[in-house]
Amino acid sequence: MSRHRISVRINGEVYEREVEARRTLLQFIREDLGMTGTKTACERGDCGLCTVLVDGVPTKSCLMLAAEVDGREVTTIEGLAKDGRLSRIQQAFIDHGAVQCGFCTAAFILTTEALLRRNPDPTEEEVKEALGGLLCRCTGYRQIIDAVLDAAKRK
Amino acid sequence: MPLPEFDYMQPRSIGDLMSILSKHGDAKLMAGGTDLLVLMRDRIIRPGLVVDVKKIEELHELSWDERSGITIGAAVTVNELLASEIIREKYRALWDAASELADPTLRNRATLAGNICNASPAADSAPALLVHGADVVVMSARGSRIIPIEEFFKGVKKTALAPGEFVKCINIANPGTARSAYMKWKRTWGEDLALVGVAALVGDSGVVRLAYSSAGPTPILLELRDVFDGVGPLEEKIEKASKNVPGGICPINDVRCAAEYRTHIATVLTKRVLRKLMGVGT
Repeated sequence: MSRHRISVRINGEVYEREVEARRTLLQFIREDLGMTGTKTACERGDCGLCTVLVDGVPTKSCLMLAAEVDGREVTTIEGLAKDGRLSRIQQAFIDHGAVQCGFCTAAFILTTEALLRRNPDPTEEEVKEALGGLLCRCTGYRQIIDAVLDAAKRK
Repeated sequence: MPLPEFDYMQPRSIGDLMSILSKHGDAKLMAGGTDLLVLMRDRIIRPGLVVDVKKIEELHELSWDERSGITIGAAVTVNELLASEIIREKYRALWDAASELADPTLRNRATLAGNICNASPAADSAPALLVHGADVVVMSARGSRIIPIEEFFKGVKKTALAPGEFVKCINIANPGTARSAYMKWKRTWGEDLALVGVAALVGDSGVVRLAYSSAGPTPILLELRDVFDGVGPLEEKIEKASKNVPGGICPINDVRCAAEYRTHIATVLTKRVLRKLMGVGT
């Protein structure tokens, strides 16, 4: 099995590693780097809980090979809070009760981050559309949608 | 669950790709990997070599001209199709399909070529490509050839590609004034495989083409001749056209719904999409 040297910037820090061809980005983040904020769930691209940002774009990391991120930038949930201060999106999720078991939370927050960067003032329809690749079993989505709409209004 | 073991290569040119494929007949190509990696994780396929095509610049072509129509390279993602004004304007069925395919996150990775090469009966892009009469440009060390889309799907997850062949791009001729659309029926508002999907193309010369996903082992093209000729109210002709649907498709019962439901919905959507394209009020 082939092995591949990668140099990837994750949450601002460069990691140089060698990975097996079959190593997914998800396994690399969680197991090789110990960043377990990103979750493993369906591993089929359905649930979205493995979502990270690759060059700012929401990506289901269970369906990406670690070897593919050589020379690229990845953002995980661990990279959002700055100096211990939660981002406005993270705070809005807490304020609206959008976190229950918390398993989907990282994926929703990162996808929201990407949404608000490209569309700072989304309609509710646009929010629902953008979050369409993510599943939450607890909240019924209402609190999540409210949190996103509220976060958009915050600085 | 880890993927099975495999070797991985990322050629940077079509020449390198052809050379690799001529040496490794069992290699699988990877663009977005959104079907491939799922099949591998389930051990349904176990390729010894996975060849990633995304570093081949030529395969990212997305270009249009009046004479030859649109060219969509094998590595072009579904989101790139959605961002194309030309596709939205001239190949609306394909744009509609792109907006319904999987979900917004996966659309950054999923490719049009991958959707047809995976050849699921539910492939959303297939009905649009069928009504537009797309051509699949295929290459191998033996040369290149064109497979018309009507001949591309051979069975459930089976295509007309021979060993060593790969899709270079998909060409769709300029549709002129013909208009198209795709409608997809799902169990949920959000992401779902098509329970049934219907694409239609209506041309000014009276040509009407319909195509269906999730209504048979392969996506199905129905060409309606004569139904729209002559005088008479359009609504009646649409009703008559929809009577062709049950005999033209062969859906199955599956975990998602019953065959009769698929036939019923296919008929309903056929009428809706034809009314929409022919400007008949609902």
